[in-house]
Amino acid sequence: METQVKKTTAYDVVALIVLIVLAFLFIFPLYWIVTGSFKDAIAINSATPQWFPLEPTMDNFVRLFDRPALRWLLNTVIMAVAAMVLTCITASMAGYVLAKKRFFGQKILFSLFVCAMALPKQVILIPLLKEMSFLGLHDTLWAVILPTVGWPFGVFLMKQFSEGIPTELLEAVRIDGAGEIKTFTQIVLPIIKPGIGALAIFTFINSWNDYFLQLIMLNSQEVLTISLGIAKLQTEMSNDFGLIMAGAALGSIPIIVIFLMFQKYFTQGITMGAVKG
Amino acid sequence: MKNMKKFLALAMAACMTVGMAACGGNNTADTTGNTTGTNTNANTDTADEAGDAQEQESGGATEITLWTFPVGDWGGAYVDEVIAAFNESYPDVSVNVEYLDYTSGDDQLTAAIEAGTAPDILLAEPQRLVKFGKNGRMVALDDMFTDELKTDVGNESIIAACSDGTNYWMYPLSITAHFMAINYEAWESSGALEYVNQEGDRTWTTEDFQNALAKLKEAGLTSGVVYCGGQGGDQGTRALVTNLYSADFTNAEHTEWTINSENGIQGLTLLKDLCDQGLLSYDAGIQASDELQLFSNGTVQMSFCWNAANAKNYASSVTFTPYALPFPSDDGVPVLESGLYGFGIFDNGDAAKQQAARDFITFVCDDAEWGPKSVEATGFFPVRGSFEVYADSDDPNMEFYNAMLAYVGDNFTAMDGFTEQRAEWWTMLQYVFTGEKSVQEAADTYVSNSNAYTASYSE
Amino acid sequence: MAKNAAPARSHVLARRETFVSYMFLLPCLVFFVGFVIVPMFMCLFTSFFDYTMTDFNFIGFQNYVEIFQDETFLIALRNTVLIVVVSVPTVCIFSLWVASAIYNRKGAVTSFFRCVFYLPVVTGTVAVTVVWKWMFNQYYGLFNYVLSSTNVIDQNISWLGDKRFAIWCIIMILFTTSIGQPIVLYVSALGNVDTSLVEAAEVDGATSFQCFWKIKWPNIMPTTLYILVITTINSFQCFALIQLLTSGGPMNSTNTIMYYIYDTAFKTNQYGYANAMGIILAIIIAVFSALQFKVTGSSKKD
Repeated sequence: METQVKKTTAYDVVALIVLIVLAFLFIFPLYWIVTGSFKDAIAINSATPQWFPLEPTMDNFVRLFDRPALRWLLNTVIMAVAAMVLTCITASMAGYVLAKKRFFGQKILFSLFVCAMALPKQVILIPLLKEMSFLGLHDTLWAVILPTVGWPFGVFLMKQFSEGIPTELLEAVRIDGAGEIKTFTQIVLPIIKPGIGALAIFTFINSWNDYFLQLIMLNSQEVLTISLGIAKLQTEMSNDFGLIMAGAALGSIPIIVIFLMFQKYFTQGITMGAVKG
Repeated sequence: MKNMKKFLALAMAACMTVGMAACGGNNTADTTGNTTGTNTNANTDTADEAGDAQEQESGGATEITLWTFPVGDWGGAYVDEVIAAFNESYPDVSVNVEYLDYTSGDDQLTAAIEAGTAPDILLAEPQRLVKFGKNGRMVALDDMFTDELKTDVGNESIIAACSDGTNYWMYPLSITAHFMAINYEAWESSGALEYVNQEGDRTWTTEDFQNALAKLKEAGLTSGVVYCGGQGGDQGTRALVTNLYSADFTNAEHTEWTINSENGIQGLTLLKDLCDQGLLSYDAGIQASDELQLFSNGTVQMSFCWNAANAKNYASSVTFTPYALPFPSDDGVPVLESGLYGFGIFDNGDAAKQQAARDFITFVCDDAEWGPKSVEATGFFPVRGSFEVYADSDDPNMEFYNAMLAYVGDNFTAMDGFTEQRAEWWTMLQYVFTGEKSVQEAADTYVSNSNAYTASYSE
Repeated sequence: MAKNAAPARSHVLARRETFVSYMFLLPCLVFFVGFVIVPMFMCLFTSFFDYTMTDFNFIGFQNYVEIFQDETFLIALRNTVLIVVVSVPTVCIFSLWVASAIYNRKGAVTSFFRCVFYLPVVTGTVAVTVVWKWMFNQYYGLFNYVLSSTNVIDQNISWLGDKRFAIWCIIMILFTTSIGQPIVLYVSALGNVDTSLVEAAEVDGATSFQCFWKIKWPNIMPTTLYILVITTINSFQCFALIQLLTSGGPMNSTNTIMYYIYDTAFKTNQYGYANAMGIILAIIIAVFSALQFKVTGSSKKD
């Protein structure tokens, strides 16, 4: 099966057809968002679907940019990048020692990380809100960034990766007299690099999409994120779908481009992490 | 290894840049929040847009924040204008505006209140403002309710709706009646229009309504849809149910919900029967906004969620004439619900801000020039009798919209437990229409749950 | 987890290692303790209070007693379990099928499908939800349009407004947004299976099912466990979909504990009650995680 000489079976053909049909379903929302953003109010509200914008208009984007949409986008990028960078740094350090060191409280700590990993943020929302208020950070991007970094999934992932670091290598470096920091930056980091890449993308996408925390923590136009901005375009009395679609397109295209650019890195990294588990 | 170093360096650099960027945008808010104990959404970046605001900030200006729920057309350009005009008289107050939506606006308000970042001013309905007032989060506006205001408004129920019986928490700006609308052309072609009274106040009866529905069905049209999807627009479904057999929604003392009365049950039963006969439909998957969209694209031939502002909003996207009507009732005398909008001031513990907020509200609502303009911006009608608005409007419906105000009934939206009751209302409609529970059973459950909420306030 | 460490060490060395380890852990712990553990304790503490926008009175276990008499909570619990129990295995099985159908095709084909199935993840929940809402619309939505023009249904269905369908719609959307990553993982895991083993087995006359079960399955087991973990997390955290599509309705049929907690806290302002529900959910999830990791741990020893 693994060699190209294998002949095509009926099953392969059927499978391919099913896949293509499914692929259509998965692409469709994005297609609809992009085309919808170019439709006028009548076309987008039309009772029979208009498969393609017959009279494309930029009006939705014009109206979108009446609002600080680029600011929203920038905020989202700042938020996602900050969460990503902080998570990668803290998680790679923690994951490394959890996997490769032996210390007091290690087991308990790791169990705690694991249990907290699946904990939805809704559970601790009110306290988190109070805490952010106490720190004077409510309605700033930090209120979204900090809890994201606190989420221990990254630690778990990086621990799995760090298991793969050859202990002999660490021993050898230690005997050579290298310090802990040097060992970490020069031996450990290069080995877990793919893992960091995976975690980076994972965290980036996650915090980009974390509508919930943003909804509670951010109010001001100046700190709104793009998902929040889109959600706020829906009102009680009218749904301006063209505008919403334009916002959705603006919010999703950058991240899709990022994904496509880093696709290879991402798949490699994330797979390694899982297999090492 | 070199790559790794580079990566790290880059990461660190990025981290710092981001850190600074994020802080830079917000440290004004942080410091004010910490030092004065109050919270503003002060943000230096808004200053760039409002050129004159920038100078004031350096001169120790008072910054206040206004949050507004969507009220008709109120927003964007007009709000900027009125703030600019306000600044001419009050140059050392700068006003930041944030817009809320009905889906998540309440949640954001709750979050902000709990986090201590509540706005200074909120534009909303009594149900929200009076509730926050009773919860001790707002500043009483009793001194603003002068005899002059009371006389000018000349309507006891409007004044009463602004208060919890002890204090006034809301300063009223504009009011509208909520009514329904039909697709004039579709009704005409199907013959349903013959049952519609096009004279005077256009009042009609439950019987007319049923006959018209039958005509629409004959013509193969989807008449209307009772939206039960929740989140806003509840006034439409409520008025529809209560009017059919003139039921009372609450008791006169505002202590109990009473839709399980005989008349209420009759109304609900009629709607359910109409749905079962295919004369009307219901949908628990859509909300008021979705229903309006269905109406505007011609899928359904009537909307239960119409008012003056909607008429204006949808004017450009409809290809037919939306014809507004009061809700049909057994005696031909509708009792409509009103939408009352006004401002409240949050108690953020800063006297200067509170004074600035009062100045702003007074300016927006009472200024001889800007008061009427503000009312007009909401698309509704002034609470003050002395205001002259829409004088040059060429919309023939304006007179009708105004006339509808005379049918506005008791305003119970500031009643304890109103918000909680709303969720129960949607659930009740869903139970009724799916037949999951009998009408009586569903209504009884709704009433007992809602009464429990209301009672829990006075414990 | 400490199997690689040196067998015998002096007391001093052990202390030093502990110190170093904690220095490395410090940045992480600051965030973890600050923004997970501390709020968790505050949550536990306030769950014993009648805590609303105006009150803060100690009431002992009252909230917990009420929760188990709360019909809505039990419905929400049932729905949450339903979502997890249905979506986790479906996502795992289906992604494995897709992966095995695409992993040995030409590079570009594999890559194309991998991207396609990942699209909903990166498009963003809010954006995708808006489109799905339209697709499910009773009057002009895509599903009713397709089904009625192909005569499958003679009357339009209110997908999100019907108790029978609403939660399945949610599960379906959740499915499309959570399948991307498992597929990526399985494609790589299957690609890493030693081909010579499979070929040898085929020569010996093993059916492809036997090949899969005896050779590939054990090899992709770690991946499967990892996917189980992330899918479970995802399913438990399904919130935006419900908030934007159904608000928990109709008749609570899509209400989940997460949504109910949110609703209780932010709509009716019963913070203490919401926190008590949060604690119960946290216990449920902790048990779930512990079980999963017990399985992971025992399988590792094989």
